[in-house]
Amino acid sequence: MSDQQTPNTVTFTLDGQEVTVPKGTTILRAAESIGIKIPHYCFHPGLSSPAMCRLCLVEVEGWPRMAPSCKETAQDGMVVFTNSELAQKQRTGVLEFYLVNHPLDCPICDQSGECDLQDYVFEEGREHGRGREPKRVLGRDDFGGDVLFNGDRCVMCTRCVRFMREVAEDERLCVVERGNRAVIDTFFEEGLEGSPYAGNIIDICPVGALISKDFLHKARAWDLDRTPSVCPSCSQGCNITLQVRDDLVQRLKPRENLEVNGWWMCDFGRHNYEWMNRTDRTEVPMVRGQEVGWADALGDLLQALKDAKESVKAVTWAHAPNEEMGLLSGLLAELGGGEVVYRSPRTEGEVPLPGFPLLARREDLAPNVNGAEIFGFRRVGDNNSQGGLDELAGHDGVLIVVGDPIEDYGEDFGSKAELYVYLGSYQSKTASNAHFVLPITTFAEQEGTYTNVQGRVQRFWPGVRSPASARPGWLILGALVAELTGTEAPVSADQAFAKIAEKTSEFGGITYRDLGPRGAVAGKPAGVSGD
Amino acid sequence: MAYPYTHEKEVRILSKHFGEPEARTVEGWKARGGYQTLTKAFEMGRDAIINEVKASGLRGRGGAGFPAGVKWSFMPKEKTRPHYLLCNADESEPGTFKDRELLRWTPHQLIEGMIISAYAIQAEECYVYCRGEFFETTAVLAKAVEDAYEAGYLGQNILGSGVNVDITVHCGGGAYICGEETALMNSLEGRRGTPRVKPPFPAQAGYMMMPSTVNNVETLSSVPFIIQEGADAYRANGTEESPGTKLFCVSGHVRRPGNYELPLGFPLMELIEDVCGGMREGRKLKGVIPGGSSVPILNAEECADCEMSFEGVIEAGSQLGCAAVIVMDDSTDMVQAVRRMVDFYTHESCGQCTPCREGSSWTGKILKRIEEGRGTEEDLDTLMEVTSQMEGTTICVLSDSVAAPVQSSILKYREEYLARIRTGEKVGAAS
Amino acid sequence: MSEARKIPFRNPGWAGNTGEFDLTEAQVRGDEYVGKRPPEGGHASGASTYPYMLAERDPEAPIFDGPFKERLEKIRSRYPDARSALLPALGMAQELRGYLSPETMEQVAGLLDLSPAYVRGVATFYTMYNKRPVGRFLIQVCTNISCGICGGDDVLQAFLNNTETELGETSEDGNFTVIEAECLAGCGFPTTVQINSRYYENVMPKDVPEILERLKAQGE
Repeated sequence: MSDQQTPNTVTFTLDGQEVTVPKGTTILRAAESIGIKIPHYCFHPGLSSPAMCRLCLVEVEGWPRMAPSCKETAQDGMVVFTNSELAQKQRTGVLEFYLVNHPLDCPICDQSGECDLQDYVFEEGREHGRGREPKRVLGRDDFGGDVLFNGDRCVMCTRCVRFMREVAEDERLCVVERGNRAVIDTFFEEGLEGSPYAGNIIDICPVGALISKDFLHKARAWDLDRTPSVCPSCSQGCNITLQVRDDLVQRLKPRENLEVNGWWMCDFGRHNYEWMNRTDRTEVPMVRGQEVGWADALGDLLQALKDAKESVKAVTWAHAPNEEMGLLSGLLAELGGGEVVYRSPRTEGEVPLPGFPLLARREDLAPNVNGAEIFGFRRVGDNNSQGGLDELAGHDGVLIVVGDPIEDYGEDFGSKAELYVYLGSYQSKTASNAHFVLPITTFAEQEGTYTNVQGRVQRFWPGVRSPASARPGWLILGALVAELTGTEAPVSADQAFAKIAEKTSEFGGITYRDLGPRGAVAGKPAGVSGD
Repeated sequence: MAYPYTHEKEVRILSKHFGEPEARTVEGWKARGGYQTLTKAFEMGRDAIINEVKASGLRGRGGAGFPAGVKWSFMPKEKTRPHYLLCNADESEPGTFKDRELLRWTPHQLIEGMIISAYAIQAEECYVYCRGEFFETTAVLAKAVEDAYEAGYLGQNILGSGVNVDITVHCGGGAYICGEETALMNSLEGRRGTPRVKPPFPAQAGYMMMPSTVNNVETLSSVPFIIQEGADAYRANGTEESPGTKLFCVSGHVRRPGNYELPLGFPLMELIEDVCGGMREGRKLKGVIPGGSSVPILNAEECADCEMSFEGVIEAGSQLGCAAVIVMDDSTDMVQAVRRMVDFYTHESCGQCTPCREGSSWTGKILKRIEEGRGTEEDLDTLMEVTSQMEGTTICVLSDSVAAPVQSSILKYREEYLARIRTGEKVGAAS
Repeated sequence: MSEARKIPFRNPGWAGNTGEFDLTEAQVRGDEYVGKRPPEGGHASGASTYPYMLAERDPEAPIFDGPFKERLEKIRSRYPDARSALLPALGMAQELRGYLSPETMEQVAGLLDLSPAYVRGVATFYTMYNKRPVGRFLIQVCTNISCGICGGDDVLQAFLNNTETELGETSEDGNFTVIEAECLAGCGFPTTVQINSRYYENVMPKDVPEILERLKAQGE
């Protein structure tokens, strides 16, 4: 391996393996790079390293004291042991200290199952604790916002304090008192209320000291299915994980992506998930009020579209994935052209995260405004995503609605249309005149991509099962386009993407494979959101 | 009568003017030969001062005993950023009471030492971090600093030499740990006084992340003599490895406790028996903590041949620390005494590192249980193991300081613990 | 026990008896040299060294105006940033108000452009800042090792008995709060007691009533 050495790298020995890493890499990160996990609490890649949890100490040959691997950088020729008797004994010892005052209330702790204390003690802790003394009781404290503090479980890693200081730059947390009386607290009654990124401290708390009130006792960690996804609450497109139990989204957690959101997400996005569990869904295809099978429905629709004489108008929303938008655009082209409009909610002002400048809660409160602009859709409606469809409501030609349930219009929406096709996930009174009501899946139930504010195309995966007959919008639109053009219909999301990428220079040359779990920026976006 | 804590065997260099109120004034200090080394020092130049102090072998008086001249030589030679000299006057190691005497009787000795030292390390800003409780003492120091400004010994262009030195007296808020140099810097910056991880060392990134040197009051107060009289004169006292004189703070069960300035290497028993007037009537020596409560306890046997130098005390099985000699006679309840020391460390632990935060309070609770007669023999093993888990595993050495008295007392006074465990009876208790 | 604890002379710190040391109390304490200190801080180098436990105080005093504002400016001028002035500023607030209430911390935070939570974190780290009101005289008795083995606990008990208070509680007349202190660096002169800003050394239980009387008289 030494032949890889350059002036900018160092080579050292870690548990008998030779490792070459860039200069300045800490031992802990170097170990991670070869798959050796060194237990730690206070270290977090997004925060400063105070080296105070003393769990990540490693033995370095020839050094008088053990070194904190989160802080000590690898040096040429260093010989490091993470698994020597000394290092293991150290961890076992420190873990025992952690448990001296820990309540061991795992059965009622939400962190149980994803708790670093639980995991580490299971791995390397003493079989039986020797603590016989009464435990310190600090009790619980409502920190405001979504955060509940359980002082007895705290391991004093101060990640939360450092997050608020260094990343949120809103220093509302502090360590109060010192020594074993030390406890995390806010400024008396001030709390975290109104701090837009405070929810992240729950994620970075390695134990159950900071827990979400929203998630309190809702599910056990091991009962949750975790699916990589993209936050649909603004055009930032934070990478997230959908955490789902029994097909209900229970919570959203940020997923690391240094190009987009780091390790963080805002509380607005975090808590805006209940709609994913809406039950007023369109469930089966309906043609002129009759339940029919998909084959019949699509056959009828194809015929109806071919028979239609008048001009086509379509409306969608900025929650629609790129694939759905692209194929809608393609369908309209086949039907002789026609304008697509879209609506998207919008708010005044961004909410930046000062310590991670790439991330802000954006003004556009939908995930794919950039996608809609790339496909040349025209934005209508107001900042609450309402209105702007008067012309469509009374259109007498072909009217296609994709996604947007248009809940702000009345039952006479589309009553004059020659042909009204409603592809939606939700029941809506504006669909009552629709000749075709075709149930489509939500982003949480399908594969697809969004284009975020940076022009980055990011994938999401299905985390929730859809109602029995709902299908992804791209599947339906793709089948129609295929029939009209005599080509092969896309049967997977990546094929759908490939189809739109062919015709959209902004996505030119990239595939799902290229995107991977963290997305990629293709061409320059045609129009930046908000123009 | 002059300062009452004197003895003919003393070699009074630092403490020469203790008890003389006039020595506090600039005029009084000048009359005693003060402020005469400044011109000499500025003429010598920086390197010569550092070399002289190196040659003198002056070792840090704050407890670690690191050679002061070597410490200064770690400061960058090229000054590209502000350098700081910080004087550690946060005297709070149990058993130590020398810095307070130096500050309140001979403040100008410290100021003079600081000017020379600051010049040597190219620091123009100096802070004296005084223990917050020392209100009366810091008032004296503050007045002396003010007087020194007026007399032109501080400020811009001192004595026309072009040297600038400013001293600011700073009060702490009451935290033992701020005596640790990196905690002191955090505290001086207006932060929680938690020790920092080293490296970076203060000479690279100290106060305000600028090159800084932290020296104890006694160390800095020793500098004028070394510059005035030379390294050889300084080395006339003390041992090869521990040159010079040292203020020994003797407390506990001796007839005449107090501060005595003696050459390093002075025999411990002579200090107790002769200088301090011996044990109280009818009492026998049980043990001595030779360097403040953070070092291992020496039993009577180990004391017998102990020489009070850095190397001598190590040989006897402990450390010289800041030479705070706590003498305990046979009336001492060792279990209680150790428990009290551990309680102190529990109270003063900054709470960063887990072994210290949790270990000190746990140790204290076990000791309390033993003290109350509810202990078991396994508790002693637990104590030994728990404290060994606290050694060398934390950012600073406060955690090690808990281990020292606990382990040494269990090893040397085990029967006392056992008696307490078995019968609930106090061994040493006089009453 | 007390027989054996005889100490041949009294320490100068305890002003009631300067023993073999023929200096006045003012000379020993340094008062004579220091003189009366101006509220605006005197020379800036020592502006942060004022006692922050005084018997006379006003919980409503402004943070800060008049000479105190001037003193804070002097303090700030001595440090490279405002944060470094936090401890002295908290000290001044306590000097004026006697303790640091949440409002006080918030006001100090505002003055130095720090967050209130940060200030709370710092203030609670240090033991000398009172986080709740205390008596006019805060009596801190050292019971650490050196004083402890020479009877510190008895002295503490004597203070509690004579003030008729529990540890940490304030006497009914609002005069005294007695607490246990960690080593006050007066180990050679046990027992060392700090009362507000003053040290009393070689205190024995029998001295306690006299000290308390003297304090009461001082307050009138």
